[in-house]
Amino acid sequence: MSARALTFRAAALILLVAFITAPQLFAFVFKPLTVNDAPAIYNHGSLLALTLSHLRTVFLATLASTVLAVGLGIFVTRPSGSEFLPLSRSLVNIGQTFPPVAVLAIAVPLVGFGEKPTFIALFLYGLLPIFENTLAGLSEVPPQALEAAKGMGMNARQRLLQVELPLALPVILAGIRLSVIIGLGTATIGSTVAAKGLGEVIIAGLQSNNVAFVLQGGLVVALLAVLIHDGMGIAERAVAKRLGRPVDEVA
Amino acid sequence: MIEIEHLTKRYGETIVVDDVSLRVEEGTIAVVVGTSGAGKSTLLRMINRLVEPSSGRVLIDGRDTLSIPEDELRHRIGYVIQAYGLFPHRTVSQNIATVPRLLGWDRKKIAARVDELLDLFQLDPGEFAGKFPHELSGGQQQRVGVARALAAKPAVLLMDEPFGALDPVIRSKAQDDLLAIQRRLGATIVLVTHDMNEAFHLGDRIAVMDQARLLQYAAPAELLTHPAEPFVEQLTGTAERPFRLLSLTRVKEALEPGDAEGEALVLSTTLHDALARLIALGKDALPVIDASGKAVGRITVERILAHGRLPA
Ligand SMILES: Nc1ncnc2c1ncn2[C@@H]1O[C@H](COP(=O)(O)OP(=O)(O)OP(=O)(O)O)[C@@H](O)[C@H]1O
Ligand SMILES: [Mg+2]
Repeated sequence: MSARALTFRAAALILLVAFITAPQLFAFVFKPLTVNDAPAIYNHGSLLALTLSHLRTVFLATLASTVLAVGLGIFVTRPSGSEFLPLSRSLVNIGQTFPPVAVLAIAVPLVGFGEKPTFIALFLYGLLPIFENTLAGLSEVPPQALEAAKGMGMNARQRLLQVELPLALPVILAGIRLSVIIGLGTATIGSTVAAKGLGEVIIAGLQSNNVAFVLQGGLVVALLAVLIHDGMGIAERAVAKRLGRPVDEVA
Repeated sequence: MIEIEHLTKRYGETIVVDDVSLRVEEGTIAVVVGTSGAGKSTLLRMINRLVEPSSGRVLIDGRDTLSIPEDELRHRIGYVIQAYGLFPHRTVSQNIATVPRLLGWDRKKIAARVDELLDLFQLDPGEFAGKFPHELSGGQQQRVGVARALAAKPAVLLMDEPFGALDPVIRSKAQDDLLAIQRRLGATIVLVTHDMNEAFHLGDRIAVMDQARLLQYAAPAELLTHPAEPFVEQLTGTAERPFRLLSLTRVKEALEPGDAEGEALVLSTTLHDALARLIALGKDALPVIDASGKAVGRITVERILAHGRLPA
């Protein structure tokens, strides 16, 4: 990353932290966007608390997607699980094609309002990128390395843990990153079913015709997405480097 | 010692290895040659049970390999494949340490063994130990591959086209290194190659395979003088055979008493190289000395040519 890009990220981070901890400092920016003396800064709850609970939902949902998708990806690439590959693929694909709004609509009657339906929607939505990347990562392991591992007497478990997963890790991480980024945006709609999150700010703005609110919510989500995307990218490159791969090979 | 008894491998209807029996004596090198698809790799991979035989058996030092758990068997058999199969995510020293680690050696012993092998293969530990495979040249990767296979001091080493990807100069150096190391460690080696020069250079015995069958398994000279089938003759290069034979014989065996003018040859020179000298110098005879420099007789073109003659 160039020095300029780094400065830009640092500035974005400072701006984000300043804004969610002390939003009133920025009231003067948003004031011109309001009419009829409406509040310039969201006033139904703390932005910091909303941001944290937004992140929490995304984090937990992605964690659950990761566990299931990576586990499933490993299972269907073993000889004993290979016959389940097509089935798993279609199931995971359904999770992706079903719009999150529809999932919310179905989930609410089942689990009630709040964070649970959002969690379910994000979880289902996040499965596909991680599952597909796990498959891709595992299938890209050089066959000679696997042959050598077997020929030197590694058992199936040792081959998985010592050769396959480490080599697939950068690709799996890229899948997780994609899920997180999708999740950050998608989680905003969770506020329609009363999940605590940044969607609340946007929806409040839409309902009261307050452009300042809409912009605040959108801005925080966008900054979070950019920063997390980059942060995870750096982590991926560090992992790839530790695994002895030329950095430019990792997209 | 490796004894292969009536080993057969079928995939469905196709027979890939057909009733092959052969024995590799302790501390010798058996080279397997043959056309592509002849079943060479499959034969090799049945020795460490990467491929399960359809019938027949393999004994190592008299023990049926089926009676040994497969991972344990493979810990004891070094295995080198064409592309070396180095682990791209592990450094040179971690790659070499693979089997010792699986065997649970302690750290110190592993580190000492890795350094010893790096030295043996002329890879400076300070420079190479921490490098990743993609930072090595082909020749260096190849040496790491062999070093890794030797790490746990296996008595048996299986090599599937280990020098296939090397350029001719590096390749012949690698072959000489292998011979030197083999003499030092006394390992029993089975090596698959497409390169007949390599086979004659390295093999104590050569196994010729074609279409799943073992056509002949014999000492290199025997293969040249008494090819079992036309295919063997063809594979060894019909026109090349006298020259190959001369490469296999040393001056010592064609020595005759007497003296000659000119630069002396050493007893261990091959007849091939001796003839080349005689042709180059335009001579009929040259004196011969032993390793200590003492004159022991002479070598003549006539005697050399007689040694290259093939039985009708
Ligand atoms: N798992 C398998 N299933 C079906 N056929 C196989 C399998 N493995 C190998 N074969 C077939 O067995 C034959 C022998 O293969 P093998 O790899 O032993 O040949 P090879 O002599 O090593 O050839 P090359 O010199 O090209 O490496 C080939 O025709 C190959 O297609
Ligand atoms: Mg082969």
